[in-house]
Amino acid sequence: MNAFAVLRRRAGRWALNGAATLSLAYILLPLIFVVWLAFFRQEIPSFPPEGYSLRWFAAILDQRKFVDGFSLSFQVGVLATGLGLLLGVPAALCLARYDFTWRAPLGSLLLMPLIVPGVVLGTAMYVFHVELENALDVDVIGTFYALVSGHVVIVIPWIVRLVTASLSGVDRTIEEAAQNLGANRWVTFWRVTLPAIRPGIVAGALFGFVTSFGNLEMSLFLVGPGRTTLPIVILQYLEWKIDPTIAAVSVVQIALIAIAMLVTDRYVKLARVV
Amino acid sequence: MSTASERPRGRLLTASALIGPATIFVAASLLAPLAILFRYSLNGFEKTTKTMTEAVTAANYVQFFTDPYYTAALATTVEIALLSTATCLVLGFPLAYVVARTQSRFKHLLIIGIVLPLFVGNAVRAAGWMVVFGNKGFVNTGLEWLGLIAKPLEIMFTEKAVIIGIVAVNLPFMVLSLQSVIESIDRAVEEAAFSLGAPPLTMFRRVLWPLALPGILSGTILTFILAMNAYATPYLLGGPLFKMMAPLVYNQFTQQSNWPFGGAIAFILMAVTLSLTVVANLLIQRRAVR
Repeated sequence: MNAFAVLRRRAGRWALNGAATLSLAYILLPLIFVVWLAFFRQEIPSFPPEGYSLRWFAAILDQRKFVDGFSLSFQVGVLATGLGLLLGVPAALCLARYDFTWRAPLGSLLLMPLIVPGVVLGTAMYVFHVELENALDVDVIGTFYALVSGHVVIVIPWIVRLVTASLSGVDRTIEEAAQNLGANRWVTFWRVTLPAIRPGIVAGALFGFVTSFGNLEMSLFLVGPGRTTLPIVILQYLEWKIDPTIAAVSVVQIALIAIAMLVTDRYVKLARVV
Repeated sequence: MSTASERPRGRLLTASALIGPATIFVAASLLAPLAILFRYSLNGFEKTTKTMTEAVTAANYVQFFTDPYYTAALATTVEIALLSTATCLVLGFPLAYVVARTQSRFKHLLIIGIVLPLFVGNAVRAAGWMVVFGNKGFVNTGLEWLGLIAKPLEIMFTEKAVIIGIVAVNLPFMVLSLQSVIESIDRAVEEAAFSLGAPPLTMFRRVLWPLALPGILSGTILTFILAMNAYATPYLLGGPLFKMMAPLVYNQFTQQSNWPFGGAIAFILMAVTLSLTVVANLLIQRRAVR
């Protein structure tokens, strides 16, 4: 290779790294500005800031709606993830280990909530709840249970997808060896398969929880009076103003999600699951 | 698990017991609601009393396609989705390539940096852009300080702001789709092209691009679908009057209480997204075969 070609390749490498850095900065830019704003001393987001202060973080606790929204989102997320695991892990086992006529269509059905627009999911569930309420004569619209069941629908695809992927990496012969050595199917599942797919389950649960916690569009139609999830509280606040308080709320949320991801990264390589 | 000694009927029974509950649950809480919404979209609507009337009519669909106000909203949505998807592809490829090929031990931090914004929520990221683009925001103050502009640029509540916001939201999905495919391409193939004297751009066009085509296709389709369905970003960065399809559905349901028309818009949105996706798929596959 002549010197000119080497030079050209080096220039290419620089251009590539520069472009990649710009893209990453673009992705992170809105988050950086939200974090910056949370520490401003003045209330109006103007530049340069007049000084820095931590008081907006204390102000979060004075506003009941943020605390209530956080607590509701957390409860719904935990419940929906738990129920999603109960339904999704067996379904993933079936999709990965059994061959039957309906496998492909059923697999698509379970992943479908990922591609239906959130607004359409929400409106469809809302009219469904109206019909249910009329037919059964019990409260459905805007109840906690209706909200949780909606969230289970959007958690299931993540769990099915990640657990199925993780199962396809498990060597079938190890399971067969366990059964040849006299283990029944339950013992084989509990002692061999489950430990092998634990990373997939952890990743599925994390992605499911975070999807539920951050869901906005669908939840808009499922929440009731006095029962609002955190993303909706944030949206409604941003409709009329942007100030360091809302930025501080966002920083708390960003920090919690970042910690959850760093912890998960210890168990499963995030690069492999998304 | 399954063994060879298991009889077919026993296998089928176990399989159904495993997948049955999830299937029934998703069918009942996704397919049934969609079916009811579709049925509603064929109903009539009494404007004076704001009540739904029982009917089987395509009037809502006809109204959508004959009113320029709504067809313009559909055109804006498709235009923004196409523009933002193309931008995502151009911006996403270099980053995906660097992430896929890096040997750094900080690779996982790089990936967390890309994935984290996905989980922070669109509303929070829209808030960030509001700080950047507002009248007293970072960009306007900076440009005024430099003496480049006399009065603040109007960026918020324009199509530009919406596209910038949607690209930032969708870029991580594009990067992750591309990165997983690039990682599976053998480095030696690139080296072979270089050692045969190909300049980087030729290598990209003749080797990398064709081999990465499946990832390009899946990433493009994913970001296109997400852009078509965007709600929070156009609502917050485009303003309440900015017309894209998803905010329109929301508005018909909550502000106008017109469920049949809202349902019709929802199904038009899904049908247009699906058909454009299928067409793109066919076009690209035909080109790949040639």
